[in-house]
Amino acid sequence: MLNELKKRLTGKTDSSGDAFVDALREAISPERVKFDGAHRALHGHDASVFDGGNSGPVVYPETTAEVQAVVRLANDHGRNVVPRGAGTGLAGGAIPLGAPVVVAVTRMNKILEVDVDNMIAWVEPGVVNLDLSNTLRPHGFHFAPDPSSQQACTIGGNVANNSGGPHCLAYGVTNAHVVALEVVLPSGEVAMLGGLDAEPQGLDLRGVFVGSEGTLGITTRIAVRLTKNRPEVRTLLLSFDSVTDAANTVSGVIAGGIVPAAMEVMDQRITEAVENYVGAGYPLDAAAVLLAEVDGLDAGVDIDADRIAQIGRDNNATAVRLAETDHERALLWKGRKTAFGAIAQIAPDYYLHDTVVPRSALAGVLEEVYAIAKRHDVLVMNVFHAGDGNLHPLLIFDAREEGVLDRVHAAGGEIITASLDAGGVLSGEHGIGVEKQKYMDRMFSGDDLDHQNRLRQGFDPFCRTNPGKVIPSGHSCADIQSLRNVPDKVWG
Amino acid sequence: MDLKLDDDMLNQCVQCGLCLPHCPTFRVTGDETMSPRGRIKLMREVQLADAPVTDEVLDAFSSCVQCRGCEPACPSGVEYGHLMERTRETLADEGMMTPAWQRLALKPLANPTLLHAGSKVLAVAQRLKLVPGRLGISEQLPMRQAPLETSGDDVFLFTGCVMDAWQRDVHAAGQRVLEAAGFGVTPTNELAPCCGALQAHAGLTGETRSLAETMMANLDAGSGAEPRPIIVDSAGCGAAMKDYGHLLDTPEAVAFSARVFDIQEFLALHLNRLPTAAPIDLRVAVQDPCHLRHVQRVHDATRTVLRPYVRELVELDDEGLCCGAGGAYSVLEPELAGQIRERKLGSIERAAPDVVASANPGCSMHLGSAGANTRHPMQLIDDALNQ
Ligand SMILES: Cc1cc2nc3c(=O)[nH]c(=O)nc-3n(C[C@H](O)[C@H](O)[C@H](O)COP(=O)(O)OP(=O)(O)OC[C@H]3O[C@@H](n4cnc5c(N)ncnc54)[C@H](O)[C@@H]3O)c2cc1C
Ligand code: SF4
Ligand code: SF4
Repeated sequence: MLNELKKRLTGKTDSSGDAFVDALREAISPERVKFDGAHRALHGHDASVFDGGNSGPVVYPETTAEVQAVVRLANDHGRNVVPRGAGTGLAGGAIPLGAPVVVAVTRMNKILEVDVDNMIAWVEPGVVNLDLSNTLRPHGFHFAPDPSSQQACTIGGNVANNSGGPHCLAYGVTNAHVVALEVVLPSGEVAMLGGLDAEPQGLDLRGVFVGSEGTLGITTRIAVRLTKNRPEVRTLLLSFDSVTDAANTVSGVIAGGIVPAAMEVMDQRITEAVENYVGAGYPLDAAAVLLAEVDGLDAGVDIDADRIAQIGRDNNATAVRLAETDHERALLWKGRKTAFGAIAQIAPDYYLHDTVVPRSALAGVLEEVYAIAKRHDVLVMNVFHAGDGNLHPLLIFDAREEGVLDRVHAAGGEIITASLDAGGVLSGEHGIGVEKQKYMDRMFSGDDLDHQNRLRQGFDPFCRTNPGKVIPSGHSCADIQSLRNVPDKVWG
Repeated sequence: MDLKLDDDMLNQCVQCGLCLPHCPTFRVTGDETMSPRGRIKLMREVQLADAPVTDEVLDAFSSCVQCRGCEPACPSGVEYGHLMERTRETLADEGMMTPAWQRLALKPLANPTLLHAGSKVLAVAQRLKLVPGRLGISEQLPMRQAPLETSGDDVFLFTGCVMDAWQRDVHAAGQRVLEAAGFGVTPTNELAPCCGALQAHAGLTGETRSLAETMMANLDAGSGAEPRPIIVDSAGCGAAMKDYGHLLDTPEAVAFSARVFDIQEFLALHLNRLPTAAPIDLRVAVQDPCHLRHVQRVHDATRTVLRPYVRELVELDDEGLCCGAGGAYSVLEPELAGQIRERKLGSIERAAPDVVASANPGCSMHLGSAGANTRHPMQLIDDALNQ
């Protein structure tokens, strides 16, 4: 308060000494353009371990026109632009490289329109994922993609990362739930990609933008598809004496023709940390637990739940528990969804991988992951979207320990190689960002990468928007993660 | 600069951001420096990387409501409240925070005579319409008040400072409800002038420690006697007193804190002793004070004790997000406090209650001064028992 007072009395605001910053202040509003050390330090990070960010000014626009003004000024001053949502990204996508202006869309957080008849909602990009679902729920709808970070992450971030979540197994990832996007292109023009018609005209540029990790522009309004709330839900918790048994159960369920709404596996270490936080009654003695959910009409869900329980028992499940109440179900999910956060109870740092492997290879790759970690003497925990083979091996460590980072990176590289060798892909849902960039050429040929870069340059010829991300530098002035040549389904 | 924070606790935060939406200041500003993750990061920068304590860093720290909504949201168990209290203590010691006028303003709290004299001046001023609205004092302060009388020695009822001066009718209602449940009540009056919560929030932890020691000595059971529970009807005071164990770090303080109960918490444990009564004909929304929900974590008890006595009990839809009162916060940071309150008022409007039940005087006054009809749960139960 005193600072405010002082500013008011002396009329002194921090003088930036930077023409770009002054122009931004003129165009937006001095209070919503920050250039001090505290703001710049905090916007140099997201939720990933990457620690090399360097932010220029930070702006908090409130309208499309303001975003447009920022992008145009950046072009005029030859400066780069990085969009940012809640900063929960795990691949360093929102980390500023080369002192760009960081465009934090957190204040663009209005739900503009809910059109129940057409099952569409228009939202601003800073709307928090869970807020949207909570607002829709009384109308009988929700937004289906439910990343574990859904209480905090934004719809704009979900679009940029084409994020998935436990329930995307049955419902599809973000791409399937975004109908149209208003974007401010790197040139500063505003364009509408996609549309509300069933068959929008021309190339599906909406589909190109979804998953582009902020490299093709900034989305300022999003039309999302509403999903009907589920009439009946059954949630099962199965315990196993080995991770392999859990993985085999997952394969068995899919092979049995059941399409569960979600299937998530956690190993013993992570389950312990999670249980300590939520107290949901997760078993502490099981080597792995499988959280499986089915939804639909009354009779069907009971039959499916019974069959999953049976398949579990056939694969040596030591216990099968059915959540009796909504409260019990909510607690179990809260546990699963806070798993990454809970690990600090064990060590303060984590390096998270996000590979996808064919479900048939799940058990084998997991065994290898544990062996790799052991070889490099690092702690590994596994928590993953088992239904679509999306692994999240978490290497946990204390960065203050001498030499540990080298071991972590070595183990990480081998885990990725093992996943790719098994026919998998590099990233299921967290994106490439800066973290996984160096592994891109293990997955794509030089030609692939060059074509991706060309697509990117179609949008952004000067590589000004989120430069240094996704495409390894050898193949571009910057990079792009465009259409990854893997079927949509596996990006959950 | 050394903020005197525990390195391990500081490193416990993995910067995941899951706490962001539970932070009222981040919610209204969208600004990372006004978020728990950001504030922790700044503490690290200052303590571990020797970053300078600039105006922006001080703003980030002083804009924190200390509602601790970020704590239950944190899966890593970061004890944010303790980190912030210690940060403020260090910065106040260094003269970088909590200027002299604030220290002076907190003085009367620990001195009942001064406080009551000040309240009387305020009451007169209020009648002459000299009190600015932003002080958040909505109801007319009473000019004269009947003191609370001891009715027995089963439990202490903590009367405290501000609340006793301004809301003695809440204590009176609480006392009658306790008595209806068959407990003889000793109001603490001069025995325990102030809990020290506001001082601790301002970084004046030394003053809180000495208040805690006085209170512990005065409310000691004496040798041989069964230690009496200490019942508190203000969520902020209860939270502070439950923290004496941590603050003083002595076995006596730990034992003392274990005797402290929020009044709803205590009655929920003795539900069978409360008489039945016809419910009052009101739709009541429960507003959870942060220090009941996020710190003491006994907010369910409010529902348990209140439900039988009202026609309808409804929840707010904001998952216990702070209302912006925050002890002295609404006076020190009026702009943010007002914006935060707007969100709460929106949530109250959607719940459409006749009355908002709030178990903390600060929240009651902050919301009341914006037109919300607030009552303490004890007043509602008291009404039901005496209708
Ligand atoms: C505990 C935890 C659990 C998680 N679980 C999951 C999970 O289950 N599934 C999953 O997919 N992810 C998960 N994530 C990762 C992350 O939450 C998601 O990627 C999320 O979508 C990021 O949203 P955000 O708002 O935080 O975006 P940010 O981190 O701020 O940004 C992410 C990327 O989006 C870009 N971007 C942001 N806003 C815009 C915009 N308006 N226009 C254009 N580009 C933009 C940024 O430049 C950046 O490249 C998890 C993260 C955490 C910390
Ligand atoms: S305080 Fe907890 S929830 Fe918030 S960023 Fe740190 S670890 Fe995550
Ligand atoms: S105590 Fe409250 S205001 Fe302060 S950081 Fe935590 S949630 Fe935000």
